Amino acid sequence: MLPAYPYLILSAVLFTTGTLGVLIRRNPIIMFMSIELMLNAANLAFITFARYQQSMDGHVFVFIVMTVAAAEVAVGLGIIVAIFRLRGNINVDELDEMKG
Amino acid sequence: MLVQYLPFLILFIVAVAFSGGAILLSRLLGPKRPNPVKLAPYESGMVPIGGTRRPFHIRYYLVAMLFILFDIEIIFLYPWAVIYLTARAARLFLLLEMIVFLGVLMIGYIYIWRKGALDWE
Amino acid sequence: MIAELVIFIILGIVAVSSAFAVILSKNPVYAVLFLVINFFALAMLYLVLSAQFVAFIQILVYAGAIMVLFLFVVMLLNLTGAIESLQDKLPAQRWLAPALGMVLLVEIAVVFLSGFFAQVPEASELPEGFGTSAPVGMLLFSRYVLPFEVTSAVLLIAMVGSIVLAKRRP
Repeated sequence: MLPAYPYLILSAVLFTTGTLGVLIRRNPIIMFMSIELMLNAANLAFITFARYQQSMDGHVFVFIVMTVAAAEVAVGLGIIVAIFRLRGNINVDELDEMKG
Repeated sequence: MLVQYLPFLILFIVAVAFSGGAILLSRLLGPKRPNPVKLAPYESGMVPIGGTRRPFHIRYYLVAMLFILFDIEIIFLYPWAVIYLTARAARLFLLLEMIVFLGVLMIGYIYIWRKGALDWE
Repeated sequence: MIAELVIFIILGIVAVSSAFAVILSKNPVYAVLFLVINFFALAMLYLVLSAQFVAFIQILVYAGAIMVLFLFVVMLLNLTGAIESLQDKLPAQRWLAPALGMVLLVEIAVVFLSGFFAQVPEASELPEGFGTSAPVGMLLFSRYVLPFEVTSAVLLIAMVGSIVLAKRRP
């Protein structure tokens, strides 16, 4: 059995990739997918710690995270679709009307 | 632990090799005599009308979204059903938990129904 | 040991390269498909870490349901790459983002080197049935009852919200 840190390094690299995706891309769907990448990186860390601490609480957390991710995707993509129907495009840089 | 999943891995490899091999072999061995009719997309014998990159209707999206939410609900039912068989003392508690969970989701279900999100027209 | 190392390296390469393909591909359809590959690689890693139930839930929920919804929205909006060519309001972000990403990675590396993970115990033999659905359910329905019930409220709100957002008003 490998030690824990290769898995944790992989999780950190995936999380950083997701952060980069959110910052670099302007397509809201791909930004959304990058958020999913970050959630999955966190899930990998949860599962790794669950394995090495021999407690299954991490698995339950992953369960809850997946549920929240599904709810978030349903509402978030709903918002993207609603914006698209309202304005005809979904450029995130144009969505700045809520400035104070 | 890992050895337990060896049949699973073998099945996966066989599936990938079989489907990939079928595509590769037919590309290598099959004769190629293309003409415009053969290259047209197959539409059950109809002559295709318009392009394929037409946007979907929003109805499909609504159905897919509700599917995901109820899919998650089913995922929670599965471990519940597994432990319900073996639990003896806590059965009533387990049952109540699940009734509350499903009750809250049933409110959402009734809302969806009343809003007509399940009607196709 | 060697087998696990080989599997980890293969899956790690697949996961990282597909993650980069997600954030770099021009066509959102390809990005969705690369994300599915990424989720499969992670599910295999969960299997290696003996989280069998979570691994199959991952494939069922993420690769099976959530990515289908993503594909639907990509097809629904049908903006293949058109949006990215628009004028960027914050051009500095393109150069700042990798720098900040490196800072994040270095930060995590510092945590590694500071000996935090010396506290993580070595791998040892697992109890029988670790990672199967029954122990997950035991925890979920006893110690974590409250998160479980709150989850139902989250799902209810998501249902109502998505109907409000997507349903055409008469």
